[in-house]
Amino acid sequence: MYDIRLTGVTKRFEAFTAVNDINFTIPKSSVTVLLGPSGCGKTTLMRMIAGLESPTEGRIFFDDHDVTDVPTRRRNIGMVFQYPVIYRGTSVRRNLELPLLSEKLSKAEIEKRVDEVAEILDLTSVLKRQVEELDNGTRQKIAVGREVARQPKIILFDEPITNIDLTSKLELKRSMKELFGRLQQTIVYVTHDQTEAMTLADQIALMQDGVITQSDSPKEIYEKPTSQFAGWFLGNPGMNFVPPEFISVSGNKVSSPLFSQVIDMGTRAKDADTYGVRAEGIQVSLTETKGGVPAKVTRKSIGAGGQYLLDLAFGSLLAKARVSHEIGKAASGMVYTTIASENITFFDKSGTAI
Amino acid sequence: MSQFALEVKGLTKSFGDKVVLDNLSFTANVNDFSVICGKPGNGKSVLVRTIMGLETIDSGQLIVRGKDVANASPGDRNIGYVPQSFALYPHYSVQENIEYPLVLAKAADNVRKESVERVAELLRIKDLLGKKPEQLSGGQKQRVAIARGLAKATDVYVLDDPLVGLDFKLRERLIDDLRKTQEELKVSFVYMTSDPLEALSLAKTVMILAEGQIVQQDLLDVVYDKPSSIASMNSIGFPEANILTAELDAGTIKTILGSIKVKTDKNPQKVVAGIRPEGLVIGKNANSVNAKVSLMENLGSEFAVYFNVNNTNLVTVVSRTDTEALSKLQAKTVDISIKPEAVVLFDAQTGNRIGEGVSHV
Repeated sequence: MYDIRLTGVTKRFEAFTAVNDINFTIPKSSVTVLLGPSGCGKTTLMRMIAGLESPTEGRIFFDDHDVTDVPTRRRNIGMVFQYPVIYRGTSVRRNLELPLLSEKLSKAEIEKRVDEVAEILDLTSVLKRQVEELDNGTRQKIAVGREVARQPKIILFDEPITNIDLTSKLELKRSMKELFGRLQQTIVYVTHDQTEAMTLADQIALMQDGVITQSDSPKEIYEKPTSQFAGWFLGNPGMNFVPPEFISVSGNKVSSPLFSQVIDMGTRAKDADTYGVRAEGIQVSLTETKGGVPAKVTRKSIGAGGQYLLDLAFGSLLAKARVSHEIGKAASGMVYTTIASENITFFDKSGTAI
Repeated sequence: MSQFALEVKGLTKSFGDKVVLDNLSFTANVNDFSVICGKPGNGKSVLVRTIMGLETIDSGQLIVRGKDVANASPGDRNIGYVPQSFALYPHYSVQENIEYPLVLAKAADNVRKESVERVAELLRIKDLLGKKPEQLSGGQKQRVAIARGLAKATDVYVLDDPLVGLDFKLRERLIDDLRKTQEELKVSFVYMTSDPLEALSLAKTVMILAEGQIVQQDLLDVVYDKPSSIASMNSIGFPEANILTAELDAGTIKTILGSIKVKTDKNPQKVVAGIRPEGLVIGKNANSVNAKVSLMENLGSEFAVYFNVNNTNLVTVVSRTDTEALSKLQAKTVDISIKPEAVVLFDAQTGNRIGEGVSHV
């Protein structure tokens, strides 16, 4: 298997810089998700790895081979796109084995590979069916299976779930996760959907304006964002940000009207400009508590698993808190909040975590 | 004037033999954010088209602020409309696009200017007013389309799934902005969606659309906690509720996750137990059943954990800080059980709610 090394990779389209001087290594035999909003450069970066687009500057290596000028078909990669590529008028089995027929493989080997991938993707029962009879989600599984059965060293996925209907999405996620757990290949997966990224990735490379701003495990990137952008992009809702006027710094100590403790930040205190706290990082009590900061409930909604999201007004500052169903249901008027120090991330003026 | 912005009574619409809207009724309060939520294929599009007057009706009343408009032409109904897919005029600026409905209504210059500014401000597109649609991103275009739908003052606004197809983060922002817009403008929204999480995020009042009827209408938390039917429980909530078939015998139901005592005064043989994800708990106890973990979906603050027991798919939600449950989930199988009080009991035949769970046997 290959790792993928990008050195100084830049792509410009006339005046627009889609990918800006990326130096990054995608480790072999793992799942790396390129995540970011539309226009962040994730698809362009993937297309350069595939050889469908050549970099304006920089080099791309698969292990130690410089592949920058190698055409796509000679890069030994598999690709899955947004819309399933299937061969109509044939069976599922035929779809899966077609690329294998041009390779010098024994009949038994071909059958073994097809059966194996069909089993992982839960396609065994439909192998004899015509592809036209199957829904879009199943067709996408076939497209995935075909690329996997070829056993290339790298497989690239470009938003493979985005256009699949809601009910099939879950099944596709399940089978992809299962598949990725069994594969030894290097997987690069592009999406704008954070849930998909957090569910499937070993590591997430978060992109913004043509650069990778943070790459970490899903847990790290959610719990320890290195930038305001990462704090906002991950999470539903994203992090609450508290502006400078709600922060006072005195020597090494930082305090804020939103929490009663004083935080000793050492010499970094002077750089503290804003801080972020996740919705679940705000503890809410219905009755007055020691150190509890009063906030007014302005709106309520329900989120995943029946938890409530409360819109809280601390004077002019609005923030969202995630609370249990019971507390959320009962909350109205004033509530009392605390924020534990470990739930607070400080950022400097540039939006970088300190 | 009526307390209802929109009152729909006995609305029926068939195409040939197929009854799409079946004696459908609901009321939308003035200044409320009402969300009509239903799975695709339940008549949502036809309902929108009949309300807007783009489709004739077989029978029923459509009452806008006390006045039946069922026979009025679309332009005379005084209903604002934000369509699902929109076409902005490419040769007009954003300002002109938003203003257009007011121009058609022959509004005075100052009214036009003020209205455009107000909605543009609320939807955060004020700095785009001079641009042409082709210079906008997808999310910005959607904001402009929503602004155009809201520019003209009307008795009620129908929003037809306007966030469908937008990026996750764009939707998150627009959800907040739409709620704020409705509150600040003090207008009445009837918002259609098939996305249960969107309905939960937006609604004050929610109406469940199933098989051409509104099967339940109430405040959001009431519908969530006390769904009146299986369709109602299925249509709202994320992840989707667990639905288990069961047999009722002497006040006890038998399910694949064990037996539960229930409270009901009905006695159908076949029943269905509806259990929200948070009603399933991980951990071994006297009533737990071993289940195979099929997927852990990482939602950030929590995981949606999917299981398979005897070919039935189940789901629960585990907080990212619940280290005990998460360490158990390292294994391929895990013990799960039902919180009895989380069970909502339905008659399998009619789909209606007939009782609730009380305790383990």
